Amino acid sequence: MLPSIKKFLGRLPMRALAVLALAIMASFWAHAQKPTPAKATEDLPPGAMQAKATTSCLECHEARIILQQRLSKAAWTKEVDKMVKWGAVVDANDRDALIDYLSTNFNPDQLQYQAPRTSTEKGSAGKISK
Amino acid sequence: MADITSRRDFLKQVSGAALAAGAAPSMLAWALPLQGQAVDVPGEDGMILRSFRFVDLESPVEYFNTWLTPVPHFFVRNHMHEPSELSAEDWRLTVGGEVEKSLTLTLAELSKLETHSVVNTLECAGNGRSLHRPQVPGIQWGKGGVSTARFSGPRLRDVLQRAALKSAGKHVMFRGLDEVPGKVPPFIRSIPIEKALDSDTLIATHMNGAPLTKHHGFPARALVPGWVGAASCKWLTEIKVLETEFAGNFMNPGYRFPNQPGKPGEPVKPEDTHPLTSLNVKSVISGPSDGGSVKAGALHVHGAAWAGEADIVKVEVSTDDGATWNPAKLGHEQAHYAWRLWSFDWKGKAGDYSVQSRATDSQGRTQPQTAVWNPSGYLYNAIDQVKIHVA
Repeated sequence: MLPSIKKFLGRLPMRALAVLALAIMASFWAHAQKPTPAKATEDLPPGAMQAKATTSCLECHEARIILQQRLSKAAWTKEVDKMVKWGAVVDANDRDALIDYLSTNFNPDQLQYQAPRTSTEKGSAGKISK
Repeated sequence: MADITSRRDFLKQVSGAALAAGAAPSMLAWALPLQGQAVDVPGEDGMILRSFRFVDLESPVEYFNTWLTPVPHFFVRNHMHEPSELSAEDWRLTVGGEVEKSLTLTLAELSKLETHSVVNTLECAGNGRSLHRPQVPGIQWGKGGVSTARFSGPRLRDVLQRAALKSAGKHVMFRGLDEVPGKVPPFIRSIPIEKALDSDTLIATHMNGAPLTKHHGFPARALVPGWVGAASCKWLTEIKVLETEFAGNFMNPGYRFPNQPGKPGEPVKPEDTHPLTSLNVKSVISGPSDGGSVKAGALHVHGAAWAGEADIVKVEVSTDDGATWNPAKLGHEQAHYAWRLWSFDWKGKAGDYSVQSRATDSQGRTQPQTAVWNPSGYLYNAIDQVKIHVA
């Protein structure tokens, strides 16, 4: 503990110390109980193709479908070409750069993507009538 | 829990020194794990968010502790946008194709037909995809793209009989109300007539005794028991009897499996594949949790096992990395297409363990050590494993 804080705490009456301890505990408890909201939709990582990938892919998909993939360049090439066939707008001049961007950021060497959970509401699981 | 206002009021009442505690939340921000973050998806409870658009939600394996899965814990798989407008009054189901008498049914008319119930374990064909090596594209399901519910509604065959099937009709096609983005092919699939006429194949309107929720296909979905989830088309609006299998993306090249196991990572020729139908034999450990630490002594290993159209006859558990196997106790709740819960009690001494489970079904199939790799990552069913520390 820093000497100045120790000195400050040493001057406080016992009652104030107890209140301080209680306030810290209450604050911790309240904070720990209330999960920080996660973003409903994610962003793609920075890079030269971030904006174009966002326009081309996130028109239909949410970013997590991309963030969770761990694919080789060959597999990304197949996916990009399939999506273009299915309506994704990718300028022919950008195709290779887009494939590079995806395979640089989402390849088999990357750690697995950790998906968030949906909120939990007490009792929301409901009853099952048999 | 105290809300923010009352917490502020409380802090106002304490001394200036105590106000320093207000710094606690920001100090804690870095210390609290990210697992505290959650995304609101109405009607869904603590699910793993694989994708927000289109909505794909996985059940955490710790939810596999009830025979019937509560609807907010039931996995959700969507290929496209959910229908933006659904009204019980305006919804219609048409029945056409190789029939003598085409039908258009309202929900009220459908509800007048005799209701049948089937407890079915529904599993996404791609469940476990993230465990295949090399990895393949698609939703990276862990182990929880599977759940069990009691589905109720009229039998599909009763509806087909009202339409007077022609003998030329050999396949039954389902179309849902999913909203198709861009030039994506619509999600249309078909099942062979024999399965369509099975007394357990339903046009389900209810799940666990309540009307289907939107995520699960309100107001009606096909329920093709024992088969991969993709067969059970949601938001059903059209049934068409065909002479041949439906020719569309989600029948070919989608949802097909190699006729013979190939080399992992190698492409498979379309002519060497067949459409997916029934699920595999499979078991999953729902507890203790993978990577967890438990106290030495009496330990309870538990999980679920299922086998599509076959029945589970045996689940075995190994606590020594597969060197020896012990019979697990099967739960008393059972139905033909439903999973069996199972458990195994074990006295664990301190140490690190690989606990494994393997199921065997009435067709003599046993979970393999390694699942058959395939380019789309379907039907993953290798022996399940959790690593635990006993202290």
